[in-house]
Amino acid sequence: MHNLRAFFRRFRVFLLFVLLQVFALSNYFSSLNFPRSQYLTTASAVAGSFLSIEYEFTKHWNLSSNNEKLQKENIRLRKKNPNTFIRLNNGIVKINDTLFKQQYDYIPAVVINSTFDKRNNYFTLNIGSSKGVKRGDGVFSDKGIVGVIHNTSANYAVVKSVLTADINLDVMIENSGAFGLLKWNGSSARIGSIDGISNDIKIKKWSKVVTRGGSGIFPRGIMVGRILKLGTVEGKPLWDVSLVYSEDYRKIQNVYIVKNLFQEEQSKLEETIPEDKEE
Amino acid sequence: MRLILVQLFRFLFFVLAQSLIFNQLEVGLGIHPMIYPLFIVLLPFEINAILLLLIACIMGLSIDALSNTYGLHTSSLLVLAYLRPFIFKIFAPRDGYDSNKEGSISEMGQRWFIYVFGILLLIHHFWFFMFEMFKWNEILFIFQKTILSLPISYLLCILLQVVFVSKPKER
Repeated sequence: MHNLRAFFRRFRVFLLFVLLQVFALSNYFSSLNFPRSQYLTTASAVAGSFLSIEYEFTKHWNLSSNNEKLQKENIRLRKKNPNTFIRLNNGIVKINDTLFKQQYDYIPAVVINSTFDKRNNYFTLNIGSSKGVKRGDGVFSDKGIVGVIHNTSANYAVVKSVLTADINLDVMIENSGAFGLLKWNGSSARIGSIDGISNDIKIKKWSKVVTRGGSGIFPRGIMVGRILKLGTVEGKPLWDVSLVYSEDYRKIQNVYIVKNLFQEEQSKLEETIPEDKEE
Repeated sequence: MRLILVQLFRFLFFVLAQSLIFNQLEVGLGIHPMIYPLFIVLLPFEINAILLLLIACIMGLSIDALSNTYGLHTSSLLVLAYLRPFIFKIFAPRDGYDSNKEGSISEMGQRWFIYVFGILLLIHHFWFFMFEMFKWNEILFIFQKTILSLPISYLLCILLQVVFVSKPKER
């Protein structure tokens, strides 16, 4: 007993160091995939309010270019408005049926804090669970996808952006239909890569990459980027596809959150699929 | 009392400057300047090692909370705080440390500061980037980030001391 007490007294600094280190690193590694709490992130009320104050000062830097972007998007949507078209085929009866049900809901948000140069980049949004945002909702901008909601508090939300190591969104190449998982290797904020496309599929350079809509986070067909170059993976029959993102994440400001109203139904159905039993 | 107030003010300054200014400075090539290790080095020489670890932990957690790193800054700052007494002992002046002084460049001299702060900052940066990547095939990227960020952080820390810390002493 005496020896034990002496041992603790002798190594108390080292033991405290190990204890705190284990706490910090375990929190780090577990929170990369599933945040334990909202308190140690920018979703917390204190950190969020600091960042909103900062945003009040810095929001003007990209304001004109962002306004221009929004204006362009408005024009694009306005062109789809029925009022801009003259009806050519007057004879045909238009059937206005009600066989549509809303599947996706959109909420506008503003990015108040973002980084693009770290290994894992998270964006902070100015709205949170009080506006109906929840973990797992998709985030995109007018030019392309942004990420997935990682963590929320009442008034703020943290987005795990596509600039993280294990974002793994399912994307596809628009005209060939080949699909894979989106990855980011951390070197440039403009370049991402797709993993898992078999190398017997022909892929054209500069073909569009869009979301596949498989996991139900994003609707099908939201722009991701364009194919930049193809390489081969050593020892595997796969393409090493790099793509250039259509959105410039260095200047991002206005985003939309997409909520899939059928998400629960889909995941409940997919839970009934039996797991692969390998040996 | 005055000492505690000064340290508290410095603590706030370093946390806010790191998370609101230096985390946003993204110049490319993976350069990530980190200035908050300077706070731990500038704490008084005779501080208790346990208190040092606890201060480092609180500081790391507050920076983590403002930059979404979930404990990465805490972990690397703890390493720095744990190793500080050992490095200080190796580079101790012949007649020990003067408890009236602090480990700044103006009070301990350039030679002492370059060695002590350089070694501690190198360990801190390497630890940080190692756990940020944590993959063998990105080891070159880890070295690149460490080697490029280190001089920038170092120069910023010296500049900060020249601007803020160094004051005429009349003790």
